[in-house]
Amino acid sequence: MNIIERLQTELLFFDGAMGTMLQKQGIQPGELPEVWNMTKENVIRNIHKSYLEAGCDIVKSNTFGINPFKMKNCGYTCEELTEKGIRLAKQAIAETGREAYVALDIGSLGKLLEPLGDLPFEEACKAFVPVCIAGERAGADLCLIETMNDTYEIKAAVLAAKEHTSLPIIVTMVLDENGKLLTGADLEAAVALLEGLRVDAIGLNCGFGPDVMKKFLPKLREISSLPIVINPNAGLPVVVDGQTSYLVKPEEFASIMKEIATDGASILGGCCGTTPDHIRALIETCKGMAPLLVTEKNRSVVSSYTHAVVFDNQPKIIGERINPTGKSRLKQALREKDLEYIYKEALSQQDRGAHILDVNVGLPEINEPEMMESVITGIQGITGLPLQIDTSDIAAMESAMRIYNGKPLINSVNGKQESMDAVFPLAAKYGGMIVCLTLDENGIPKTAQGRIEIAEKIINEAAKYGISKKDLLIDSLAMTISTGQENADITLDALHDVRHTLGVHTTLGVSNISFGLPQREKVNTAFFTIALSKGLSAGIINPNSEAMMDAYYAYCALNGSDQQCSSYINYYSSQAQQPQAAAETGELTLFDAVVKGLAESAGKAAEKELESKEPLAVIDEDLIPALDQVGQGFEKKTIFLPQLLMSAEAAKAGFGAIKAHLKVKGAASESKGTVVIATVKGDIHDIGKNIVKVLLENYGFQVIDLGKDVPPERVVEAAKEHQVKLVGLSALMTTTVANMELTIRMLKQQLPDCNVMVGGAVLTQTYADMIGADFYSKDAMGSVRYANELFA
Amino acid sequence: MAFIMKADRKETLRYLGYRGQDIDSQTERLLEEVFSELERDSSPKSIYQRYRCQATEDAVILKPLLEEISGSSSAVLQSDGSSQWEVILKSKNLAKNLRGCEQAVLLAATIGRAADMMIKKYSVSNLAKAAVVQAAGAAYIESYVDEIEDKVREKANRQGLYLRPRFSPGYGDFSIDYQKDFFELLECRRIGITLTEGNLMMPSKSVTAVIGLTSGKQESCWKRSCSQCEKTDCEFRKEESGE
Repeated sequence: MNIIERLQTELLFFDGAMGTMLQKQGIQPGELPEVWNMTKENVIRNIHKSYLEAGCDIVKSNTFGINPFKMKNCGYTCEELTEKGIRLAKQAIAETGREAYVALDIGSLGKLLEPLGDLPFEEACKAFVPVCIAGERAGADLCLIETMNDTYEIKAAVLAAKEHTSLPIIVTMVLDENGKLLTGADLEAAVALLEGLRVDAIGLNCGFGPDVMKKFLPKLREISSLPIVINPNAGLPVVVDGQTSYLVKPEEFASIMKEIATDGASILGGCCGTTPDHIRALIETCKGMAPLLVTEKNRSVVSSYTHAVVFDNQPKIIGERINPTGKSRLKQALREKDLEYIYKEALSQQDRGAHILDVNVGLPEINEPEMMESVITGIQGITGLPLQIDTSDIAAMESAMRIYNGKPLINSVNGKQESMDAVFPLAAKYGGMIVCLTLDENGIPKTAQGRIEIAEKIINEAAKYGISKKDLLIDSLAMTISTGQENADITLDALHDVRHTLGVHTTLGVSNISFGLPQREKVNTAFFTIALSKGLSAGIINPNSEAMMDAYYAYCALNGSDQQCSSYINYYSSQAQQPQAAAETGELTLFDAVVKGLAESAGKAAEKELESKEPLAVIDEDLIPALDQVGQGFEKKTIFLPQLLMSAEAAKAGFGAIKAHLKVKGAASESKGTVVIATVKGDIHDIGKNIVKVLLENYGFQVIDLGKDVPPERVVEAAKEHQVKLVGLSALMTTTVANMELTIRMLKQQLPDCNVMVGGAVLTQTYADMIGADFYSKDAMGSVRYANELFA
Repeated sequence: MAFIMKADRKETLRYLGYRGQDIDSQTERLLEEVFSELERDSSPKSIYQRYRCQATEDAVILKPLLEEISGSSSAVLQSDGSSQWEVILKSKNLAKNLRGCEQAVLLAATIGRAADMMIKKYSVSNLAKAAVVQAAGAAYIESYVDEIEDKVREKANRQGLYLRPRFSPGYGDFSIDYQKDFFELLECRRIGITLTEGNLMMPSKSVTAVIGLTSGKQESCWKRSCSQCEKTDCEFRKEESGE
C-alpha cells in the first residue's frame, strides 16, 4: 500500500537525527556527512539499523546536504552519493528484516534565491535534479524535502521532484518563535503554496522541541487539508563539551509527541538531538493510536511569499492598473522596459488598499513570456501582495506561474475546450486559483442560464484535473449597458446563482459595464455595489478610484464582513489626516518644493509653471537652480543625505511633469549625454548606485542602469552599444574591487576613450588610481560634478 | 529573551553622514517611519559559540572547548574523541587582535530580511527612505551585536575572562572567504544567513565576528574604533576621543 494511503488508518513513524549520531561517531566540523556514505558506510548503515530496530517505519537517507554547491570539491558526484545513500538505507532495512520505507532526504541549498539573493530560480530547480533522479533510480519510496525556511526554495525543490520523479512528496519546514518561516512567510502562505503544488503531506521539523511545535499544530490543522508530519528536535540546542547538544530525554519527548498525535499529526519522528532511544520511546508510547481523520478544509486561497489572501465572506479588491489596455503611458513603459513605472503602479495600488494585483503585460510588439517573467519577479521584489497572472499567451502564463513565489491567481480560462486543455494542466502542476470566463466556442451567452451552464462545464472539466471548485473564481462577464441594458441583469443573475447555487466564488472586471458611457465611474460604482450584494467575491477594479473604494468600504461595513467596521473606520480616519498635511505646506513654488524635498508639490508646481512658461525655462530657471542650491548645501554639509535625496525625488517629479508636457506636444526631452552605470560582479549592494542614477537623471543625463552583480562583459557591451563616454561603477567590498579593476581594464582595452568613474564604501582615491579609474567620487554629488565637466 | 529593538538614532544619522544639520519635520518623519517599520518587521537572530584559541604570528587556531556547564548536571554527554578537530584562520590582523587569548567566541547575527526588502521597495518609491533604511539597518545590526557581546562579556567576566574587540571577516587581512568557516562551525543557516558566490552575507544586515577572551584584563581594554581601518578619508570615520 502507498505510504500516503496508509495514513488514513495508522500513524507512521520517521527515524530521528542523523547528524547527532554522526557527531557521536566523531565527524568533524566542515566534514561532509554524505561523504561518509562512501568512506564509512558501516557507520551510516548501522545508524539506519539502530533506528529500524527502534521501530521506525521510514528511514531518511543520508543525503540531506547533497547538492552541486556543497559537494563541489568532495570528489564524488551528487548522483553517486545519493544512490549510495539510498542503498545503505535499503540494506539496513533488509538486514533488520523490517518492512520500512526509504525517504530520499533533500535539504536546503544554503543559498538565497533572487530577487533578494544571487541564485536564479531555475538554477535552484536544477540543483535539486541530480539528487531526485538518482534517489528514485536507487529505489527511494518517497521524497522528504525538509528543514526548509524559504517558500521559493521549497517550490524549486518540489518542481524538481515532480518533474523528475513519480515519488510521493513530503515537505517539512522550520518555523521561528512567531510561527513564521525565516523569509517572513506565515504558515498560511506556505500551506497555500504547498497544497497548490499538490504535495502529499506537510509539516514541521527542526528549530524547536516538541513542546513548542505542539503550539503550531492547531493552526496547521485548521488551514491544511493534508496529513501532517512533526519531526521536532530534542529541545533547544545547548553547548556541552564544545558540542551542540539537545537535552530533552526520550520519555519526555515521547509524552509530548503523544499529545501531538492526539492533536492530529499523522507522521511522527525526530530531528536534531533525537536518538534511537527517543524514537523507541515515541513508538512505544504512541503505537496503536488511530490517527485523526484528515479533512478537506475547502479554503479558497491565493498567496504571495509573505501571506495568503482567503476568499471568504469579505470581498477582495484586485487592482487592475497594470494592464496596458487603453493606457498609453503603461504601453510606453512596456515598450521602453521602464519597469520602475510599473513598480510604482504596484505600490500605489497597494497603498490604496488592493489585496491582489492584476499583472497583464500583453502588447503585440513585445516578448510577452520574457516581460511577464521579469515583471512578476520585479513586483514580487517590492510588494508582498499576491498577484493575478493575466494573459492569454499560454507560454507567458506558464513562465509566470513557474517563477511566481506563492500560489497565484490565474486570469484566465474559459469554456472553450482548447482553453481548458491548455490552462488546467498548468494549474494542476503549479497550483493557483483560476478565473473562469463564462464564454465558449459559441461566444458569450445572452442569458444568465447560458453563462451558468458554461460555468458548470468548466467546473466539471477542472475536476478531471483534480482541481476542485474551491480553486475556481467564475467571471460571469460584465458587458456594457450602452449596447443593451439587459446586460447588467444577465451578469448579476448569473453571478448570484454561481455563488449561491453552485457555491463557487466569483469575480468581475467591473468597469466593462460602462464602456461607451460618459462619467463611467458613476455607473461603475453603482454596479460594483449591486454585484457585491449579489455575491461578488473579488472585484477587478481601479483602487485609485475614490468612489469605488468608498463603495467597497461602505459595503463591507454594511454586510458585516468588516467586523466592528474597523477597516472602514481606519480607512477614513487616515484619510481625514491627509488634507491637514497638505495645508501645512500650502502652495509652494517649484523652486521651494524641490529645496524642501516635497515631491507631490513639486509635480503640481511644475504643471502650473508649464501653463505660462516654456519647458526649458522651467528647467533652467527653477529646477536646476533648486538642485544646485541643494547640491551645494550637501557639499557644504548644511544639509545631509536624506534631504538631498528628497529634493532629488521632488525634482524628478518636476521633470516628470515636463516630460509628460513635452510628450503631449509631440516633442522629446533633450539629454546632455548618456552614462552607463553598474554595480560590479559579485556585489549585490546597489543603493549607492541608485542614488547616483537619480541625481544624474535630474541633471539631464540619460542613464543606462545595468543593475547589480554585473559581469565586466556586459558593462563593455552596453558601453559599446550606447557609445558612451562615461561609465560609473560601484563596489562595496574589497573582494569585488578586483572585479571593478577587471571591468575597467576591459573597458580601456576595447573603448580607450571611455571614462570610468568609481565609488563605493571600500574605495579611496589611492585605490581608485591603482585600479585605473579616471575619477573617484566620494559621494553622489561628486559624480554629477564630474559628468557635468566631462559633457560640458 | 527577545531583543528589544532600539533604533540607534545617533548611529543611524552618523551613517547618513550627519554633521549637526537642521533636521526638518519631513526628515524627522522619514526617520520615525523607518524606525517603526524596521522594528515591526525585523526578526533579529543570533548564534554563537566558544572555542579554545591559540594565536600565532599570522594565524588563529580554533579547537573545541571542553567545559563544564554549571547548572545543567542533567546533561550527560560523552567526550568520546569526537572533539579532536581544529580550524585555522589565517590573518595577521586577527592574530594580533587575539594574541594571548586562550579562548575565542565566534558569533553570527542578523536582523533578518526586512531591511533588504524595504531597501528594494523604497529604492523604487522613495530613495531617501531607502537610504535611511540602509543606515538604520546598519545601526540596528551593530547595536544588536553589541547586546550579544554584552551577554558574552558578562558571562566571561564571571569566569575571570575579558573581551578583546570583535573582529570580522573583511577587516584588514582577514579574508571574507572565512565566512565559509563561520557557516560550517556555527551552522548559520539556522538563523537564515546565506552566502552569495562572492561570500557576501544575505540578509545584508548580518554580522559574523570573532571575539578574543583573555585572562589578562589590562590587555583587553582597547575599544573597537575606526583607528584600525585603512580608509582614512572615510566620511563616517569617528574622531579619536581617547576612549
